[in-house]
Amino acid sequence: MTTARVALAQPRIAAAETLSRRDRRLGKILLAPALAYIFLLVAVPFLLAVFLSLTNSSAGSLDFSFVGLQNFRNVVGNAVFLRALRNTFIFTFVSQLLVMVLGNILARALMKPFRGKLLVRFLILLPWAAPISLATLSWLWIFDSTFSVINWLLKVAGWLGPGQWYYWLGDPVLGMIAIITVHVWRMLPFSTVILLAGLTSIPKEVHEAADIDGAGPLAKTFQITLPMMLPILTVAVLFGVVFTFTDMSVVYLLTRGGPYNSTHVLASLAFQDGVLGGDVGRGASVAIFLVPLLVVMAVLMLRISRRAEVV
Amino acid sequence: MQSRRQFILKGVKLVAAGAAAASVGPTVFVRGAGAADKQLKVLQWAHFVPAYDKWFDPWAKEWGSKRGVEVTVDHVGFADVVPRATAEVAAQSGHDVHMFIGLASAFEEHVIDLKDVSGTLEKKYGKPVELATRSTYNPLTQKQFALSDMWVPDPGNYHKKVWTDIGMPNGPVTYEDLVKAAPEIKKVAPQMQIPIGVGLSQDIDSNMAVRNMLWCHGGSIQDKDGNVVLNSPETLKALEYAKRLYSVGMTQAVLSWNAASNNQAFNAQETAYILNSISAYRTAQDNKLPVLDHYFFVPALKGPTGIQLASEHVMSGYVVWKFSKSQEIAKEFLVALIDASRESMLASKLYNFPSFYGAAADPNTPMSKKGESGAAWIAKQCNADPFGSQPGDKLSLLAKALPWSTNLGYPGFANPAEGEIFDTYVITDMFAKAATGALAPKDALAEASNRCKEIFGKWRKKGMVAGGSKDR
Repeated sequence: MTTARVALAQPRIAAAETLSRRDRRLGKILLAPALAYIFLLVAVPFLLAVFLSLTNSSAGSLDFSFVGLQNFRNVVGNAVFLRALRNTFIFTFVSQLLVMVLGNILARALMKPFRGKLLVRFLILLPWAAPISLATLSWLWIFDSTFSVINWLLKVAGWLGPGQWYYWLGDPVLGMIAIITVHVWRMLPFSTVILLAGLTSIPKEVHEAADIDGAGPLAKTFQITLPMMLPILTVAVLFGVVFTFTDMSVVYLLTRGGPYNSTHVLASLAFQDGVLGGDVGRGASVAIFLVPLLVVMAVLMLRISRRAEVV
Repeated sequence: MQSRRQFILKGVKLVAAGAAAASVGPTVFVRGAGAADKQLKVLQWAHFVPAYDKWFDPWAKEWGSKRGVEVTVDHVGFADVVPRATAEVAAQSGHDVHMFIGLASAFEEHVIDLKDVSGTLEKKYGKPVELATRSTYNPLTQKQFALSDMWVPDPGNYHKKVWTDIGMPNGPVTYEDLVKAAPEIKKVAPQMQIPIGVGLSQDIDSNMAVRNMLWCHGGSIQDKDGNVVLNSPETLKALEYAKRLYSVGMTQAVLSWNAASNNQAFNAQETAYILNSISAYRTAQDNKLPVLDHYFFVPALKGPTGIQLASEHVMSGYVVWKFSKSQEIAKEFLVALIDASRESMLASKLYNFPSFYGAAADPNTPMSKKGESGAAWIAKQCNADPFGSQPGDKLSLLAKALPWSTNLGYPGFANPAEGEIFDTYVITDMFAKAATGALAPKDALAEASNRCKEIFGKWRKKGMVAGGSKDR
């Protein structure tokens, strides 16, 4: 009897092992395209950038020699780089803060039933779908230093008197405001959709129970909504921060880093030095300067998100 | 219903088939291309006068079809010319012929020497204009790295009515005139936002404008031997002048301008003086803008030193990549393009000026007279504009633009260091910081001078730029 059971069990175990092996193989096959994609289009260019940052490579040449950390030493002593570094932090944190606050307001508004909700949702998503180059061209006219639509409206409204004018793209501070405005406009739809998904995933019963316990709106926000949304919020913030830190399109299309290189972020400065100026080594060192910081930030945020999930 | 094994096997087969097709595909394409005689791929800028492209593209194709060559012309915006070259060099593939509108010198290592083509053309038409040679030849490596078919003068554009109202009907003559005129313009035309519209921003036109200011005050980035001499009392004077001009006649708008901004401001009558080629004027003509009757030109302004110079507005530089498989065809193409200098100038509505004046000469002119004959033909076009200027000689000053026009890199040759300084806006930033008071002129100068020396030093190490012993 026992012998027979063992005899029956052995093929079952063997079959289970085969299935498990097959699963593992299938898993590898299914993962392979994604891994190949990440390796070829993310890892290789990144490693190449690290490599180039240690050389004196230039755009018109395939020959170069190693210069160690010389490119990093050069850029750290450069006023334009230091300004771009400061701008990168301002650009990222101010725009992310605005995106999160405005996204939250929009998401909460979109949870309420009202007429034309579908149309509003469509309009909110539009900036995300529009090509950034086209959208920025429109913004370029809105902020144009000579023909700004905003200024004309302010003038008609009596806000700007004779001789008063805002030079949106000709002033370092107004230039940064313009850049952050366009970036917030661009990122808001994505953030809103993510936050909306997070809000709708909180079961109604939890809020109902809190109501019965006598919790007020503030208590519900800080003790229910925010903790339950933390994983999704973290992902939204992480994505937004990394995307903003590495984005150059708005800066390049709107101010090209001007006036006098005062609105550059690291990504646009890297493009100017490395591609337009032809100093690839210097451009690469500017581009990867913040990688260690971004890695630490990403690890921290993912850990926070994981803990929140467990809780 | 398929089992998982069948599904995977089928998938693997499909992928294998796809890979096989992909590997065969290029072979088939290449064979096909080889069979279709010869090919030439040209990368060209999108011309500021669109009518030129309407002439160039069919002309290139027709030239090819007569020789059994399939010519493909791709256009990119002027700002994409350099990034595109960088990408093609990195990939070691792309177009055969690449047109630069500024300096191609940074790419010298990857282009073929066009000395033989230049020699052929010189035998045919005489020497090219000096500023073309200085933009396309490296005396250190003795390489003709590019070939120029045309250059573009950069006159001052002034609003005649406004300047007449302030008692200067012929416009400004010196840089000091701009400072004197600005407060008067504000009085007679208070609706104009920017009395003097000289750009100080990170764009191509500003890059030229500030160099003009620098040169006319006696300063320069390098001397004729390639030494960095930016740090000089003359540069300081130019910066102090810019500060005075900015305070009386400009606004922060000029710090944000792109290549189109000065055209737009002048055509909207928001400024009374800009530095530009005639493309803005042609736009005003095409659109019959109200500014047209007041649209007039002056030559480059004189500085306190008496120097009167302006950078060329555009200097074409055609290169042939070393990776090109059609190098000989490319050379023939460039010769043909220069042969067609008259058509080119007319197609661009007198925007392009031939780099080889002799190529615009009357047929059968003796070799010794070709330059003269070409200059006479050019003057004839400018003195009686065939494109409807009123009066007809409005553009006549362009025919005399050569003595006051020069190359980037003046008083030396153009080189990769000058190119990098141009493309990273070192000089415009110096002027903008000094003019607006963001930095004191001497501090702005010190910052820019250090950066220039750093850039020159890097290119000298690569053996592509001369000088260094007399850097300041």
